[in-house]
Amino acid sequence: MYRLFYTPTWFNGWDIIFEAFIFIIALLIAAYSWRIYKLNKENQFAYLSLAFILISLGLLVKIGTNATLYFTPIREVALGALAPVVAGPQSNLQFADLFYRAGFFLQMVPILGAWLLIFFLSQKARKRLTRWYEVSQIALFIYLILLISVLANFKYMVFYLTSAVILSLIVLNYYKTYLNKNLNENTYLVMWSFILILFSNLSFIFVFAWENFYILGEVFLLIGFLLLLYVYRKVVRN
Amino acid sequence: MAARRSRLELIFDILTSIQNKGGVIKPTHLMYKSNLSHKLLNNYMEELIQKELIVIEEHQVRKRKSASKVVRITDKGLGFLEEFRRIREFTDAFGL
Repeated sequence: MYRLFYTPTWFNGWDIIFEAFIFIIALLIAAYSWRIYKLNKENQFAYLSLAFILISLGLLVKIGTNATLYFTPIREVALGALAPVVAGPQSNLQFADLFYRAGFFLQMVPILGAWLLIFFLSQKARKRLTRWYEVSQIALFIYLILLISVLANFKYMVFYLTSAVILSLIVLNYYKTYLNKNLNENTYLVMWSFILILFSNLSFIFVFAWENFYILGEVFLLIGFLLLLYVYRKVVRN
Repeated sequence: MAARRSRLELIFDILTSIQNKGGVIKPTHLMYKSNLSHKLLNNYMEELIQKELIVIEEHQVRKRKSASKVVRITDKGLGFLEEFRRIREFTDAFGL
């Protein structure tokens, strides 16, 4: 049987549920950050909001593509809608391949964009410096995102490896912030959230070797975002 | 030297100064506590009164014939302080 995805069959659907939770958490943080931006008009809050919106967008695409691949009724509907584009003698197979690749591309671009934005924001303010510095960094980020997203379609682990590298830099930045802000507990928890998200991406790299790494990755990702939710609730309820 | 305070930080400092004095403070004391010039403080106070975060009250002092003015923080002002503290925590948590 031709398999396009690495998930253990029994886990089909559970990853969608995990990602649905993460989607909601990301939107909550994005909404609160946007609310702060409306109050004080400081750009970093708008960027943070955008980062979490990008994460939720990437997850939404992943949920959509996974649901289409796992569940036949959804797949039949999608095939019907896309038939004019992918019609041919092996249309079902062509469709699955094209659909999964397009879905993966549309998942990678926003998520990589989000990690890069968060990396940019987690740097100390003086390193963000002048407007031209920011513009040149953003231009470089966009180029890298598109390049990696195209390459990763040939080797999926390129995306997770790149994510892991960026996430490790984010963790390092948060560790420095934690030390500089008199060992702030919330910063410590956010740092740990990103450590867990980093572990999840490292797990996804090795899915080719053992499919249960996918489950481990999803669990780490969920716990990481649940920790972010805990920080959010702690701040908002204070 | 301390960094320049943003507009919201100035408002926070003004309201915190009032809150720390039990919710009521004389304008002169407020000027010293919030570390602002008379002119600047007046500008901000006008804005805060407009937004109903503070009110100016006449306070009759026993030994004096005339009433003196005091600044009182409103419930809305207290709510703003709470919101700002949350924003500050969020900012610190995400290293912004």
